[in-house]
Amino acid sequence: MRVEGEKEFQAPVETVWEVLNDPSKMAKTMPGIESFDIQDDTHWRASVKVPLGLGGLKMSIDFEKTEERENEFAKLHAKGNGVGAIMNMDTAFHLSGDGDSTHMKWEADVNILGPVASMGQRVLQPIVNQQVTQVLSALDQQVQDAKAE
Amino acid sequence: MTETTTVSPAQPLVVEEGEAQRGFIGTNVPRKEDKRLVQGQGVFFDDVKRHEMGFVHFVRSPYAHARIKHVDVSKALELDGVYGTLTGDEVAILTDPFFELSTPPGAHIKDYAIAVGSARHVGDPVAAVVARTRELARDASELVEVEYEPLPHVLDGEEALKDEVILHEDAGSNTVWSGVFDWGDFDAAVAEADHVVKIDRLHFDRFSSTPLECAGVLVEYNRGTGQWTLYGNHQMPGVGAIWMAPALRVGLDKLRFVSQDIGGGFGNKITLHPQFTACCLLARKLNRPVQWTEWRTDQHTANTHGNERTFLDVTVPVKADGTMLGFSVRAVDDCGAFPRYEPLGCIIWAQVTPGCYRWRNVRVDFTQVCTNKSPVAPNRGYSRMQHLWLTERIIDIVSQELGLDPVAVRKKNYVKHEEFPYETPNGCIYDSGDYARCLDVALELIGYDKIEERRVDAEARGKLLGFGIGSTLDSGTNNFGQSMILNPELQFSGNNEVATVKLDIFGEVVVTLGTVPQGQGHETTTAQVVADILGCTPDDVHVRAGHDSYWNSHAGFSGTYASQFAVTGLGAVKGAAEKLAVEMKQLAGAVFGGAPPEAIELAEGHARIKDNPEAALPFMALGAILNANNAGLPEDLDITLNVRYVYRPPFQKPDLERKYGNLTLTYATQVHACIVEIDPETGVYEIVDYAAVDDCGKRIHPQIVEGQVHGATAHGLGAATHEVFTYDADGNLLTPNFYDYHVPHALDMPPMRNGFIESESPFTPLGAKGMGEGGGAGIHAVCAALQDALGRRGEGPIVWRSCNPYHRVWDLLQSPQESRNFVTVESR
Repeated sequence: MRVEGEKEFQAPVETVWEVLNDPSKMAKTMPGIESFDIQDDTHWRASVKVPLGLGGLKMSIDFEKTEERENEFAKLHAKGNGVGAIMNMDTAFHLSGDGDSTHMKWEADVNILGPVASMGQRVLQPIVNQQVTQVLSALDQQVQDAKAE
Repeated sequence: MTETTTVSPAQPLVVEEGEAQRGFIGTNVPRKEDKRLVQGQGVFFDDVKRHEMGFVHFVRSPYAHARIKHVDVSKALELDGVYGTLTGDEVAILTDPFFELSTPPGAHIKDYAIAVGSARHVGDPVAAVVARTRELARDASELVEVEYEPLPHVLDGEEALKDEVILHEDAGSNTVWSGVFDWGDFDAAVAEADHVVKIDRLHFDRFSSTPLECAGVLVEYNRGTGQWTLYGNHQMPGVGAIWMAPALRVGLDKLRFVSQDIGGGFGNKITLHPQFTACCLLARKLNRPVQWTEWRTDQHTANTHGNERTFLDVTVPVKADGTMLGFSVRAVDDCGAFPRYEPLGCIIWAQVTPGCYRWRNVRVDFTQVCTNKSPVAPNRGYSRMQHLWLTERIIDIVSQELGLDPVAVRKKNYVKHEEFPYETPNGCIYDSGDYARCLDVALELIGYDKIEERRVDAEARGKLLGFGIGSTLDSGTNNFGQSMILNPELQFSGNNEVATVKLDIFGEVVVTLGTVPQGQGHETTTAQVVADILGCTPDDVHVRAGHDSYWNSHAGFSGTYASQFAVTGLGAVKGAAEKLAVEMKQLAGAVFGGAPPEAIELAEGHARIKDNPEAALPFMALGAILNANNAGLPEDLDITLNVRYVYRPPFQKPDLERKYGNLTLTYATQVHACIVEIDPETGVYEIVDYAAVDDCGKRIHPQIVEGQVHGATAHGLGAATHEVFTYDADGNLLTPNFYDYHVPHALDMPPMRNGFIESESPFTPLGAKGMGEGGGAGIHAVCAALQDALGRRGEGPIVWRSCNPYHRVWDLLQSPQESRNFVTVESR
């Protein structure tokens, strides 16, 4: 499943870039996160609980930053393992600054395998949309906090 | 040969329980099974529990195709209450691959109880966990860590033919089996034809049966004797043992199969040997009984599906008067990840090569391939249903394209009543029938004479009305010799079934069957046959419920499958009861001081002298004398009052060179008629009227027959309208439970009228034919009705798939040319 969108931040592009590249700040944008480990500059691991059905779906996700151009572009690959589900995601974001505001264009290709993909087919898209909305809202908050620092 | 026509509900006599009269065959005696079933007293495998037993849960692949790099069960084993695990690595050491029926390349496929090396479909079991409770086993299975290396997958049969992605490296190809069947002279038929109709593509969708009771087994291992007892719902345990014993490296007698009640089988409980073998290994490894009860999602995802088949390049030579001379086709059959019971489906369709028609020239190029989907297994109407859908689609598409009346075309091309027994181009002998008369009854039941008025009325309401027919054959009692046409190395031919009948010490008549009933009423119909032969009532006949291979009342092909109980099962019962009757008369004659057996008759629970009915011995006396009071009986009285009879149908081995011979003994007929109304704005349609006419020869118990007709019809209508296994591009099954896979329930069923004709079979012991599979007549009738509603001559779309949910009908309405391009007509 492919999801994409655009967002405006009332902050300079350097601030947005800093947040997007700070794993500890990004961790705060992820809903259902239970733990977050930074392995090195380009590899992170998160344990999350995705709200899918009763009890949610626990998943261990490995992130790898595969490409970046400072203040302009970054690309990440994420692989998640959970009970009954395997997730692969490739996501990229493009930044362009205009003084004190930043425009972000992003896209993600999410691929889910296993029984969850079979049984959760009707709810996956709305859940992904909901998660994206939450992430973007939390990201905005992180950017504003960073700007204020 | 006698014939009767009856139309329900004006059914004949119901015989009250205990009523004493001869002639129970053909009447609706109370079913022996029903009391315990409606009172919740049936015993299904999941009712069987053992002290300290463990529950099995399979860990399944989330990938359609992946290499299994590592399986780590350590975390699962640490959980309190987990008894043990089984992995593919262990299975590879402890067992041999299951026997494959195919010639190469299919013969080289290695199929194990648990995936070894690679997972080949979503749901393929890669490990098993046993724990104190079923829920704990499921939770623990989530702790099993499997490292996969995803591999490319292939989900489409035609794509699989290209061998760009190969499922089984040992086979080197996805092709399981391929061959050409060529009977008559098809090229001459084309040359002789006035029209040649070509249909580029037709597709029979993947669906299956969804029995109320999912699959499962409780397995006990006896360390002292090395024997396993399997309380399960395998519906063909004789063949199951042939698969399992060599894989487990033991003799057949080390496997004891037991079942009492089974909640439906329909074929998909024939290939349970992988799961059962895994349970045997676990029971032995853990030294405790283990039980596996399949979850519904697992049943949909990884039990078995029906064969999916694509028909390409269909060519039909037709005379100007509507006479069809035959057809040719290229068939690609998708059997999923493992062949298992396959490639038998590559020949079983040939039992009904020309369908109901007098087609003499048939050429079929048949190829079966593996894909990364659930394996297939026999599914009600196995392999013939797909083929009969083709023959019925041919009739309706050709009729539409040439502007002919499908009713008239059917009658012109049907095998005629006076031609029976009728030999088909490939040597099958259609035993009896009257297809045209069945059609007439169906037309009358559905009110066909008013169809044009109804069409006008529907149009006035903004609806498109369509009328369709499905005329099919339910071929039963198969000749296993047909397997040799696929693989001459196989040493299977003929068929057999066993029954034992004894007269016990208190005069009880006790019958043991070799079959494995799943709700078909075997106890009832057996009692009817025995009562008529022995001169007692069905209540006097005790038929042991279920199957137990320790009863020694089974043969190599014992089981319940392939529409045959009324022939093989009751044939064995009849043979055994007749032998017992002879012995009872011999004994009575001896007791009466040397009266010859022919002077004795059995009636009203007594053996009596025909000319002197006052001289009578009750059955109890006969049982007691032989079993407990036998001193003084003549030394040469060689009887046991405990007889075993094996019924063998009269089959010959087929001619392998010509792929020719009688592949099955009986041919029950179904002619269904259907009226649909489509809303052209949405594609939503409703089956507004339905008629089903069945001819299965002599009906032993008419209500049981009618029940089977209802069930087969519902199954067919489900497959025609909603039931389909759909996969996404990654190989995830999108219809893994009843939320997405809609099986018709009572309220979904259209108003249905039933009619019955009895064309007794000249080849069977009771004139009866096997029935109950139904040939998928409902699918064919709905497709034909949709075709009729959607397009008249030369217009409108072609119904080219077997399952047509509303959205597909909508697509056909929106893009008629897309399917219309599949059909061309060459007229001379």
